[in-house]
Amino acid sequence: MSTETILRTINLNKRFKKRWAVKNLNFEVKRGDIFGFLGPNGAGKSTTIRMIFSLIKPTSGDIEIFGHSVRKNHSQALQKVAGIVENPDFYLNLTAYRNMQIAGGLTLGKIPSSKSIEHSLQIVGLADRSKDKVKIFSHGMKQRLGIAQALLCNPELIILDEPTNGLDPQGMKDIRELIIKLSKENGVTVILSSHLLHEVQQVATRMAIISHGEFRVQGLVKDLLSENKDIHVISVTPKIKAMKILKSSSLVNKVSLQKTEIEISTSHKNIPKLLTLLSENKCNVFSVYQKQTLEDYFLSVTSEEKVL
Amino acid sequence: MLLLIYFELLKTFSKWRTYIGFITVSVVIPVVMYALYYEGGEFINAQTRSIQKEFFMVGNLFNGWVIAQLIMNSLWVHIPFLITLVAGDQLAGEAASGTLRLSLIRPISRSKFLFAKYFTTLIYTALLVIVIALLSLGLGLYFFGSGDLIAFAENSITILHQDLLLNRFILAYALAILSMSVVASLAFLFSSFVENAIGPIIATMAVLVCLLVISNLPVDLFENYKPYLFTTYQNAWSLAFKDILDWNEISRAVTIMISYLVGFYSLTLIIFIKKDILT
Repeated sequence: MSTETILRTINLNKRFKKRWAVKNLNFEVKRGDIFGFLGPNGAGKSTTIRMIFSLIKPTSGDIEIFGHSVRKNHSQALQKVAGIVENPDFYLNLTAYRNMQIAGGLTLGKIPSSKSIEHSLQIVGLADRSKDKVKIFSHGMKQRLGIAQALLCNPELIILDEPTNGLDPQGMKDIRELIIKLSKENGVTVILSSHLLHEVQQVATRMAIISHGEFRVQGLVKDLLSENKDIHVISVTPKIKAMKILKSSSLVNKVSLQKTEIEISTSHKNIPKLLTLLSENKCNVFSVYQKQTLEDYFLSVTSEEKVL
Repeated sequence: MLLLIYFELLKTFSKWRTYIGFITVSVVIPVVMYALYYEGGEFINAQTRSIQKEFFMVGNLFNGWVIAQLIMNSLWVHIPFLITLVAGDQLAGEAASGTLRLSLIRPISRSKFLFAKYFTTLIYTALLVIVIALLSLGLGLYFFGSGDLIAFAENSITILHQDLLLNRFILAYALAILSMSVVASLAFLFSSFVENAIGPIIATMAVLVCLLVISNLPVDLFENYKPYLFTTYQNAWSLAFKDILDWNEISRAVTIMISYLVGFYSLTLIIFIKKDILT
C-alpha cells in the first residue's frame, strides 16, 4: 500500500455560532486507500466532507489535497477530486446526459466527450436512460447517476457520502464491487462515509472515527479490529452457573452477561480449555465466536452514543 | 466563462417558470391590441379630448407607435414581478434543490460561477423586454399602421414625427432594459441570502413598492433622496419621448442605474463567496 498522503486535514475546526461541529480534526488519507469515514449522527462527518469540497469555510485549520491548500486554492486542490455529498441532486428538467455534460464541463472547462459520458453511464447501468429527464428517475437511479458523475473525468480521489442510500441489495453490492474495482484496477482513492458499518467493513482498508466533531481513532481496518480480538461470545446453558465458572477462572479477564449470551475477554488460545472446563461442570455449550465486527469496535470507540 | 454561461442558459430555459413572463406578455399584448382595435379610436379620442378644442388634428393618431407606448406605460408596473420570478430563483432555487452543492464541489471559482448566473439573469431580462418590444411594435404597426406619436408628459404634449420614432423606441427599450436589470440585480442579491425562491421575490417587490412610493410622493422630506433612488428612474424610458432629447438627464439616469447594478452585484459577490453551502 502506498505511503503517499493525498489528503490531510490540519487542525481543522468549524464552529456554527456557539456550537463546534468539528474540533481540531487531523487525519490522513493515503493513495490507494478505501478510507472509511465513520461517526455517529451529528459527529461532523458531513461538515468535514463539505469543508473538503470547500462548500463550507473552516473556522480555522486547513485541508491539503494533493499538496494544495483547499483554503488558498480550492480549484487546484479539487482538480482531481469528485464525489457525492449527501443526496445526489440534479437538474431535474434536464436529461441524464445533459447533467453529465454540466458536471464534466465544470471540472474540465470543456464539454466532456460523448464516449466518456456513455462509458460512465455504462458502468452504473444507466446507458440506456441517458436521454431521459432526471425528474422521472427513482432515488436509486439518481444515486447511480451521482456515481457516474463522480467517475467522469477520471478523478484520482472519489469522496462518497452514503453512496448506497436508497439502493436495493443488488445495487448496494454493485456499488461495493465498483468501489473495490476502482481502487484495485484504476488506483483510485476512495473516501467512504456510510452509516452501514458492515458495508464499510467489507470494502475499507483504512478508517477514521470521529465523534462530537473530534477525532477518535484512525488506522488500518484490520489492525483496529484486531484490537478487539480478545472478545469472545459464548452461547451456553445454564447461563448463571456458566457465569460463575468463567468468573472464577484465571484464564478470563472480564465476563459480562448479554441478553442471550455471555461475553468474555480472553486470549483465543484459552478457548479449548474454557470449553472443557464448562463441559466438565455440566454446562452445554452451543457456540463460541470471536467478536470482531466493525460495529462492535465502533461502539466501543464511540461509547455511550447511539449508532449512526 | 462562455461554457458556464451556456450551462446557465440551459438550466434557466429548462424551467417552466422562465416562460411565465414570455407567455404572459404574449397573451396580454395581443389581448390589449384586440381590445383597442375593437374600440377603434375611442381610446385616443378620450385621451386627447381636452386638447381637441384648441388643436385641429389630422393624420393617423391611433397608430402602432402610440399603441406600443401605451402598452409600455401600462405594463411597466408588472414587468418587475415577472423578472423577479426568474432572477430571485437563480441562487435560492439552486440552493433549495441541492444543485448548488452539485456545482460547487467541482473545481470552479465561485466568482466565475456567480458571474455566469448574473449574466444569464441579465440576458433573460433583456429578452423579456425585447419580446415586449417586438410584440408591441410588430403587432401595433401591422394592425394600426404608422404615423406620428403623441407623447403625453407632465403638463405637456409632444408630437414626434414618425421618421424619428424607430430610434426613439430603440432608446426607450434600451433604457427599459437597464431599469429592469436593476430590479433583476436586486432580486439576484436577495436570492443569495436565502434557500427558497419565494423570499427573494417577495422581498424585491416589497422594496420596489416602498421605494416607488417614496420616489413618487410629492413630499419635501424625500426630495433630497429621490435623485439617488433607482426607482426614480424606473420610467427612464419615457425620456426617449421628449421633444428634444435631454442627454444630461439620460446620462444621469444611466449612471445612477449602472451604479446600482454594480453595487448590487458586488454585494452579492461578497455574500456568495463567504457563504457556507449547507443545503
